[in-house]
Formats: sequence, structure tokens, C-alpha cells
Amino acid sequence: MTNTTPVLQLQGITKRFPGVVANDRVTFDVGAGEIHAVVGENGAGKSTLMKIVTGLYPPDEGRIVFKGRPVAFRSPGQAIAAGIGIVHQHFMLVDAFTVAENVILGAEPARLGVIDPKTSVRQVSELCDRFGLKVDPSARVEDISVGEQQRVEILKVLYRGAEVIILDEPTAVLVPQEVEELFEHLMALKGQGKTVIFISHKLDEVLRVADVITVLRQGRVVGTVPAAEVTRERLAEMMVGRPVLFDLKRGPAAPGGVVLSVEGLTSVNGGRAVLDDLSLEVRAGEIYGLAGVEGNGQTELAEAVMGLRAVTAGRVTLLGEDVTNLSTGEVRRRRVAYIPEDRHRRGLVLPMTVWENVILGVHRSPEFSRGGRLLFRSILSSTEEAVRRFDVRLASVLAPAQTLSGGNQQKLILAREFRGDPGFILASQPTRGLDIGATEFVRQELLNARDRGAAVLLISADLEEVLSISDRIGVIYNGHIQAEFGRDEADPRTLGAYMTGARTARREGGSAAS
Amino acid sequence: MTETRTETREETQKETRQTPVRRPRGPRRKYALLDLAAPVLAVLFAMAVASVALLVIGKNPLAVYGTMFAFSFGRLDSVAAILYKATPLIFSGLAVAVGFRAKLFNIGVEGQYLIGAFCASWVGFAVKGLPAAVHLPLVVLAGALGGALWALVPIWLKVKRGVHEVISTIMLNHTAFLLLHYLIADVFMDKTQVIVGGAGSPRVRMPLMEPTALMPKLHGLADLIGVELPSHSSLNWMLVFGILLAAGLWYLVWRTPFGVELRAVGHSPDAAEAAGINPSAVYFKTFLMSGAIAGLVGLSDLIGHFGYLDIDFPRGYGFTGIAVALVARNNSLGIILAALLFGFLSRGGLGIQVLEKVPMETYVILQGLIILTIVVFWEVIRRYVRARQKREEASADAQC
Repeated sequence: MTNTTPVLQLQGITKRFPGVVANDRVTFDVGAGEIHAVVGENGAGKSTLMKIVTGLYPPDEGRIVFKGRPVAFRSPGQAIAAGIGIVHQHFMLVDAFTVAENVILGAEPARLGVIDPKTSVRQVSELCDRFGLKVDPSARVEDISVGEQQRVEILKVLYRGAEVIILDEPTAVLVPQEVEELFEHLMALKGQGKTVIFISHKLDEVLRVADVITVLRQGRVVGTVPAAEVTRERLAEMMVGRPVLFDLKRGPAAPGGVVLSVEGLTSVNGGRAVLDDLSLEVRAGEIYGLAGVEGNGQTELAEAVMGLRAVTAGRVTLLGEDVTNLSTGEVRRRRVAYIPEDRHRRGLVLPMTVWENVILGVHRSPEFSRGGRLLFRSILSSTEEAVRRFDVRLASVLAPAQTLSGGNQQKLILAREFRGDPGFILASQPTRGLDIGATEFVRQELLNARDRGAAVLLISADLEEVLSISDRIGVIYNGHIQAEFGRDEADPRTLGAYMTGARTARREGGSAAS
Repeated sequence: MTETRTETREETQKETRQTPVRRPRGPRRKYALLDLAAPVLAVLFAMAVASVALLVIGKNPLAVYGTMFAFSFGRLDSVAAILYKATPLIFSGLAVAVGFRAKLFNIGVEGQYLIGAFCASWVGFAVKGLPAAVHLPLVVLAGALGGALWALVPIWLKVKRGVHEVISTIMLNHTAFLLLHYLIADVFMDKTQVIVGGAGSPRVRMPLMEPTALMPKLHGLADLIGVELPSHSSLNWMLVFGILLAAGLWYLVWRTPFGVELRAVGHSPDAAEAAGINPSAVYFKTFLMSGAIAGLVGLSDLIGHFGYLDIDFPRGYGFTGIAVALVARNNSLGIILAALLFGFLSRGGLGIQVLEKVPMETYVILQGLIILTIVVFWEVIRRYVRARQKREEASADAQC
């Protein structure tokens, strides 16, 4: 616990956007040399606040006091020059440059206008040593891992002399081992007297690493509390504004017959096998969680099963029928629900109304159209019922889907997909970008569907999600299932080892590993 | 916790009961008034800007506009002329708009209507001895089929080979025109023409169409409502057909399952595909429909006025149709109004040229300005409405 003098003070920061107050009189102090977490749900105003602190937006009201003096940065450049640097969630690196080149980019050590590569490499490796950040300064960014790329971003702000380092959702892109390493680095930074502001909505991480936690809700500060004096449940309640249920209700496992069977699935894209001899089975009444680092074939698997991607070899069987390379419409006719990973691109037609999105795909069913005519009475009552059942909050079912919040959009997709009691559910990143309340809702609905006897294939980059609701877990790496675990056999470290390819092909004894 | 959830749901239900969602026969769009305001304001704005051009050439804008309105609406033959000029534009506007709804850019209406006119003309003179009740529908059908045929190649290339329809339709426009020239001048040229008094040369045209293939004029209908159309007016039943077609297409787009598919594919082919709709099939059907409508564009002139196809057959309706669809934002009623607006501008342009000695180009300037300002005004209003809706949803979210 630190009770040092504040290095950064936010005093009554208010920022309005048309129709919404993003930050409402936000006031809190960040003590020098502490790790200060700022938590809140999506849309709580965390990112806006950090953009104000780093000079990307001017505040409408309030002031920022840095090292005892009021400051008003007009650009991130001014902020970093004063000593406040930010590591964004999405890295801003030049892939073709080396680590050292990326670090010095924009602040090159030059003599007579000529960059001195030796000096830069030396300076960068000194920085690495000093803060215990392990990364090769002469490696190209495109060749290093995501965790290492993040270290390069941290090096960039350190190189520019930052005393306060802001990390925006830094763990979102990392596998468990990398998260551990990141936390070690944060501790090292703290040990060197740096101040860290850690933006997150993952409560476990925040509680582990932070000294002090500030909770934002709807643009306001709910409270600033020492991490040692608060529980996860209490934090969640502060964030959401009501108690949150962490233990989802689930019935006893009662797996039935095989519903989805994928055998030796291979799909080649641009000469590269994006799916490589992939096999798995999902039974009725179970959730099969597919864990993996993104980009290892999850998207392609979902598309191949749904008939959205051509399969080069292998077979997809649904309830005993071969559906390989059938059209999406034909696959869907077999009581299949599909929650696409990208709800904006694949899940909803955003400019169309709520009711149109709810009937999309079933708009030709006798319930909704007869003789080439839409039956509005039936459509609207059915839409309202679905919207009510899935607790979608909206002003009108006649409004375009794009006016809904992310959580409500996802609930709208569930409302469409879960009607008619699906036998197989393919849920791809179903809670990505959702707040705690909506996440809890979606997971509970998946569990309810499982309890009703549906087979659920859950594809998620969120390991915690896979571990919390799956009955069986498979790990995908390079388009192949490397290992499968029962619900009780899996732990994050083991899964992480398979996810990064550090260990391969547990199930088939290594013969298929490539 | 579970209790909180149930409570919230009950509240939501209660609220829904208190303020039931309006149930019109079909879900209507809000903010319709704003939609109407935009084009009116845009026309006024464009006229103000065009005044500058008039002042530069030393004309009094108020006098010019006054003459324009007086000439256009003060005489029955002007009104008939406006309606006649609007007729092909309704068809071409609809042809472009139905494609736009599916994000298909049918720039080929120009070529499609020429081919449609040729097919209609051929059926009109080559098929003989049929009663008008059979022959006339056959001629119209031939026009539609001709247009669809010319649309078949670009959409097949797009769906199968990924060729962008803008490129292929533009090229086919030229092909259509040159093909038409060849067919009229070298294959179907009417050799039986009698040169009166041995002077001049025969017209480069196809044989005259049978009387049974011609579209009746609107004079009879006008008489019924007590309006006596001037005898030289060529206003014909294609206008009524165009208006009915506009209504039919509105119904198709907004009231049928195919309309849902059409718009879903237009907005997001990826989402439509994931929902089980086959975007290629929708593209195919829509584009052929667009081509078939395009095939009707020239019929008002062909079977309502000339009665034969010659190499001077009116051109440019296809391109003006793009402007009509753009100004009307693909809305059926809007297309009728926009076609009338363009008809008025062209008739009024004629009026001010004759009476005010203002060059015909003024009307081109005005037409261009109106297209530009309407498009800009609508975009502004669209963004305003979107922001308002977003705010309403946000407050609904917060209240629950």
C-alpha cells in the first residue's frame, strides 16, 4: 500500500459528447510509484478519461494536476514530453522495423541528421536490462510474439522518459503466461519508481496487481479503494451498480448422443492450411469450449461448419447427416443457432430495424410470411416477445439495430438464434466487448440451452470464459486440436502451454503435430 | 440477485404495456417530415445559387423563375409535356433504384433500354394479325425481356467471376448503341419508305410498328376527369404503368420476404449470408429485375409517340435515371416526384429560353445544383436523425 504524495491529480474532469456525458466530474489522485487500476464496464468512460489525460481530447471542465502543477496537454506528444505515456490496446508498431528502430522512432538519437544504429541498440538494451524487459533489440517486430510486442510499446514510453505509464486493457491480447510476465514487469516498473495506471475490466487481474483501484460507472467515479480492502464481488457491484452473480446456474452434466462431428477438416487459404486435419465432437447437453490464441483457425472452423467457407478435405456431420460444404441456409435448417464472432459484420444488418433483424433468415417461414407477403402482426408480436424474453432494452422495435448498445445487440442476436429451441449452437466469441451484466446473461443462456439438451460449441479467446462454462475443453493451435480436457482436468497454465504451441498434440500422441 | 433480475423484467413488461408499440399495418419510418423538408429546401437553395449565374449574364432571377413557373404550370400543354418527359425517367429511376437497394450499381440502364426498345420494336412490326389486347402486352414484355437479356451478362460476370458491374455495364452501353445502329441501318432498315416528291433521303429506321402494338394515349382518361389534353400531346398509358410499377416495387421492397433479402444483402451481404440468405441469388434476381424495368424506359417514346425505332431514338434516359434515383434516395414515391421535377426543369428551361432569352444551359446548371444540394441536405438530415435515434435508445437503456 502506498500513501505517497499524488503525482497525478484529476479534478472534476467532465467531457460531453453529443447526447452523452462520457466523464462526469471525475476526481481522483494517483500516488507516485503506485499501480493504480481504473476499472469500469465498456462505456464507463475509462478510455475517454485516458485520452483526456494524454492530451488527445481537451476536457470540457476540470483540470489535471501533474507533479503539483496544472497541465493542459494539447497532444499526446506534449503529454509524453511532460512524462505521461500510454500503451494502447492495439499496438502501433512498424512490423518491418526492428525493436530498437520502433523504440526510437520519432525520437531518434542522431548526429548531424544521421541515425546512429549502434547507439540506439545500446540505449534500448540498457532500458531492457534496467526494467527487466526481455526482448531482442535487433529482432524484427513481425518476428516476435504479441507479449514481446507489448514490451516494445512499454519501452517506447520509457525511452521517452515517462514517469507515469498508462496501459489500456493490456491483458486483452495476452495468453496466461504472458499476463504473468506483464505483471512481473509492472512490479519492476514500480520498483524503479514509475507510476502505472492500469485500465481493465478483468477484476481478478486488477486485484492481483493493483495497489489502488478507482471504479468508474457511467462516467462517474464510484469510489477509489485500496486493493487490499476490497473483494471481487464488491468491485463488480461497484462497477455494475448491483450485485453480480459469479457462479452461474448449471444442471448436472448429462451428455447425450453426438450432435456435431468434425472429422479431419482441412481448409486451404492462399496456399496455407488454415484448418489442418481438425477433428472434434460435440454431444447433446454439453458445452465444448474451444480455447486458443486468436488467428489459429477458430474463425475458419466456425465458417466451415456454418457453410460460409469451402472445405478442402474432411467432413462435418450434424445429427448424422453430412453437411460438408452445404449452404448456410441448408445448415441452418437443421435447428442450428449461430452467434458470429463479429456481430457488426456477420451478426446483424445494422441499418435495418430490430424486427427485420429478428426475422432475418426465418423471414420465409409460414409464421412470418404468406403468399409473398410479410405478416406484420405476427412479426411484431413475435419480435416483442423475443425482445422481452432476452431483456433487450430498446425504445422501439422499429429502430435500426445500430442504435442499440453492444450488449443489447448481442442479446438481439440471441433472441433471433435461440427461438425455436436450437439443437446445436455455435457461439463464437459470444461475450466479446460486452459488459459484466450482458456477459453474465449470455453465459447463463448458453448454460440454459445446454441444460435443455442442446449441443454447444463455444469458441472463445477468453480463457476464463472457456474454463467457467465448458464441460469439455479443446485447444486449437495452427488449425489443429492440440489437446482435449475434461472440465476438471484443465487449468490455465496447461491450456496456455498448448495455446502458444509450447506443447502440441496431446490427444493423438504427437503423430499429427506439425 | 435473481430477484433483481426478475424485478427488472417485470418493470420492462409493465412499461411495454403502458406504452404499447404502435402497430401500423407496416412499420413506418419516423421523421418522415424531415425527409420531405430536405428536397424542398434543397431546391430553394439551388435556385438561390443559380441566381448568381443568372445575375452574371444580366438577367433578373425573379423574372426568370417567374416565367419558368408560369410557362410550366400556366398551360395545359406544358403540364402534359412535363408528364410525358417524366414518364421514361420514372422507369429508369426505378430500374437504378431497385439495384441500388441491393448495392448493385446498374449504370447499364442506358444500354438495356435501347436493347429493350429494339426487341419491342421487332415484336411490334414482325408479329402481325394479333388483337391489340394480345399484341400490346407482348410488345411490352419483349421490351422487358430485352432489357433483362442485356443485364444478364454483367450480373453473370459479377456473380461467377467477380467482375464489377459498373465496368461491364458501361462497356455494354456502348456495345448496345453500336449494335442497335447496325441492326437498324443494316439488318432491319425499312426499304419500303416512299420518298415524297423525290426529295431527301429515306429515314434510317426500322419498319413501322403495327397499330395493335401502339400504346393508347391518355386523352380518354383525362376526359373522364374533365381535362381536355391538347391533341398533339403524346402522353400515354405508360405513365400510369410507371406509377403502378413504382407502387409495386415499393411493396416488393418493404412488404415481402424478398424485399427483406434485397435490403439485407444491400446493407450487409456478410450478415445476410450468415443468416442463411444466398447473396449471389439475390444479386442475380435483383439485377435481372432492374434490367427488365430498364427495358421499359424507351417504350413511352417508342409505342406512345414514334411508332418506329430509328437511329435518332432519344438517348440519355439511363444516365438521368441515376440522378433521379439519387435525388429520390431510391424511394418509389420520391422517384415519381424527382422525375416530375426533371420534367419541369426541362420544360421550364425551354420556356425561359424562348421567352426570356436565357440560354438552355441554365437549366442544366440548375439541374446539377439541385442534384448536388439534395444529396448533401439528405446526408445532413440522415446524420441528425441517426444521432436522435441513438439518444432515444440510450435513454431507453438507462431507464430500464
